[in-house]
Amino acid sequence: MLTNTFTTEPAIPNPSWTILDTQDQWQRFSQPFGDDPAHPLVQSSLLLDDLRCAACSGIVERGLTVLPGVISARVSMSKKRAVVVWSPDLILPSNILSAIQKLGYSASPASHNENQLNSTAKSRAAFWRWLVAGFCMMQVMMYASPSYFTKAGDISTDISHLLNWAAWLLSLPVMMFSSHSFFSNAWRDLKFRQISMDLPVALGIGITFIVSSAATFDPSGWWGHVVYFDSLTMFVFFLLSARLIEVKLHSKTLGAMEALVSRIPENTERQNLDGSYTRVLNSQLNIGDIVRVNIGEAFPADGKLILGQTKVDESLLTGESTAIHKNLHDSVVAGSYNLGQTVNIMLETIGESTQYGQIVNLINQAAIEKPRLSQLADRVARPFLFFIILSAITAAALLWNVDHGRALMTAAAVLIVTCPCALSLATPAAMLASASAFVKRGILIRRLQAIESIANIDTVIFDKTGTLTDNHIELKSIDVQHGLTEADALAMAAAIAQHSMHPVSRALANAASHRESLKGITFELTDIQEQVGAGMSALLKGHALYSGKLRLGSAKFCESSLSKMPTADERYQQVYLANDNGWLATFHLQEAIKSNAAGAINQLKQAKLEVELLSGDQLHTVENTANSIGIKQFQAACSPNDKLLRLQLLKQQGRKVLMVGDGLNDGPILASAHVSIAMGKCVPLTLAHADYILLNGDISQIPQLIRHAQKTMRVIKQNIGWAIVYNTLCIPLAFFGLLSAWQAGLGMAVSSLIVVTNALRLTKFSTVLFTDLSSEAK
Amino acid sequence: MDILFILIPLSVVMALVVLGGLWWAVYRGQFEDIEEEGRRIFEEDQD
Repeated sequence: MLTNTFTTEPAIPNPSWTILDTQDQWQRFSQPFGDDPAHPLVQSSLLLDDLRCAACSGIVERGLTVLPGVISARVSMSKKRAVVVWSPDLILPSNILSAIQKLGYSASPASHNENQLNSTAKSRAAFWRWLVAGFCMMQVMMYASPSYFTKAGDISTDISHLLNWAAWLLSLPVMMFSSHSFFSNAWRDLKFRQISMDLPVALGIGITFIVSSAATFDPSGWWGHVVYFDSLTMFVFFLLSARLIEVKLHSKTLGAMEALVSRIPENTERQNLDGSYTRVLNSQLNIGDIVRVNIGEAFPADGKLILGQTKVDESLLTGESTAIHKNLHDSVVAGSYNLGQTVNIMLETIGESTQYGQIVNLINQAAIEKPRLSQLADRVARPFLFFIILSAITAAALLWNVDHGRALMTAAAVLIVTCPCALSLATPAAMLASASAFVKRGILIRRLQAIESIANIDTVIFDKTGTLTDNHIELKSIDVQHGLTEADALAMAAAIAQHSMHPVSRALANAASHRESLKGITFELTDIQEQVGAGMSALLKGHALYSGKLRLGSAKFCESSLSKMPTADERYQQVYLANDNGWLATFHLQEAIKSNAAGAINQLKQAKLEVELLSGDQLHTVENTANSIGIKQFQAACSPNDKLLRLQLLKQQGRKVLMVGDGLNDGPILASAHVSIAMGKCVPLTLAHADYILLNGDISQIPQLIRHAQKTMRVIKQNIGWAIVYNTLCIPLAFFGLLSAWQAGLGMAVSSLIVVTNALRLTKFSTVLFTDLSSEAK
Repeated sequence: MDILFILIPLSVVMALVVLGGLWWAVYRGQFEDIEEEGRRIFEEDQD
């Protein structure tokens, strides 16, 4: 009777897949991979259905990698996604899809629309299976209840037979329909000589049904006369309830990520040559197109406003929650929401190359990565399942001579009570919940493993420029030669400085452009030269007092006679202006320290972490920065090599180091640290080789990030601990016949729900500060 | 107690009828948005 529920004929490939074999079709769910022009490779995302457990992802991965032309395949159990790298010269997308179907799973290209349609049909079917199980369970309980309250002989045998038959009839839909997925998954695993969670469950359900059916139709036979339809329907209902809730919780956990990944609408209004608008698919947009974006819609690509002005919400991209005003010609980024009014933009960057596209890619990559603890759990799960099946057989064998029916039911209870699900869910559920909390705060994580790494650190090393300080330099004060006004000196310096991209030059030019009184003053400069690392020179013509060669730069470069100059203020960095006659002015500059830097450092110290500052800048500026934010350990004038040496020294001392840098100049140092954070503000995301990227560059999030990671590791340990305690307690109980089948079903359902709900606590980013904690402790 | 010989089979039939009704409800999307209908009571009439 079980054979009715699964089909054994080979799956027929869907003919519509061949449509996907043309390049412009598969490009919609694929992107180029690697950079070898001779052997172009493509990376595609596929949605997978019917994945049940960690073992399933292994089946698909192995099944795909043996195909000629498939370079690699990685499956994310939790996101139900496969990322396949393949060579268009050797294999076609339709071959890949039919190969997956032959393995017993179904796959479709990962485009958002299908995703949604699929999920509605899926959730309806799952709900319906659950409803059938629940309703039949209630009715079967009605038929079973007389036997709960009466002594043997109180009910006539005819009536009790009739009740059993009625219960059998209503158990059929539960067996054939509601538990169908358990059987078909178990069968598929057997076919591929795999073993997964559904096998013991299916065996348990099957045994219970066979024992009870035999007792119903042949009460005097050797199976005994006790029926277990109430237990059967109940535990199927419990298991389905657990899966239903699990799916709900899981989609809630991933809600923020999904919202980010699928926030761009499928189509956009593009302006035609005659000025009218047509809705086109986003894949058909080109650079230079003009599109209209309505209020509440997300921008489909990066571009410039060319009609209207508006407010935009960039919160999911930067963590910045206030709406930002955009004027005509301002840039808007893909994935941000238009809040103000309908505007037109001209597209500048589209698709994967937008910041949004890069963020989405990073998120998808991270979710696919299997963290160490998760791999460990998968390795343990298989032998564990073998052990369970062996114990069930042993339990049945021990009781066989006493009572066949009871022996089999004990075996069923052992099979059902086990929960390696809790074990294999423990790590990924918690880590993904955390990752989605990070994403909401504008923190991108490159690999899930980094959550474990950052929870264990004991030392934090900061880079200075761009990390602790803002990128711009502030002009603090000006000293001038007698007879020269500050305004003239600044105007002169700015006129030279505006020809250079050096941060100091830009600071001077910036300062001048902010002074209203300087507008309109112009100088005629010729022969402008820049000496890298020293300063600039230019010839000034047509000025009443200061014609001749002007120099702007370090004291040495300006060759100024020191006697006329005021002494340099130690706190600041100095830039000098001089002409042929000597010193004219001194500009005192300071790098602006981020306003929340001191608070963040204080938090890290409260958390008992060593904080260090390594910088390539001059001693006194580094000393200043370190003192003003409370870092005691610092090292100035570090070359990148010096920084690496320091890092290696700390590593040799057994320290676990978190490196925080701007991600641009310190790539190798970030890469060699135990775990690293980069500022995402000034760097193309693809270049930032750090484990975490702070999109808004707000370093006050670092202490919270560390705390949240530590909390995540605690939750994972709780989950794993729970799974172990549960199994070591319940398996012996079931083995010795102390748990009935329905209790076993309830136990397993509750056990995996506990794991998922525990993980769900992590979706909220904790804002509790380390200082709050220590004051609580006091 | 002979009436039970009719009532028990009848209960099975009625259970199947109710299941049919539930099937209709699920696939008509009756359970997809549970909150919307309740909220609509509080909204002002559009006409």
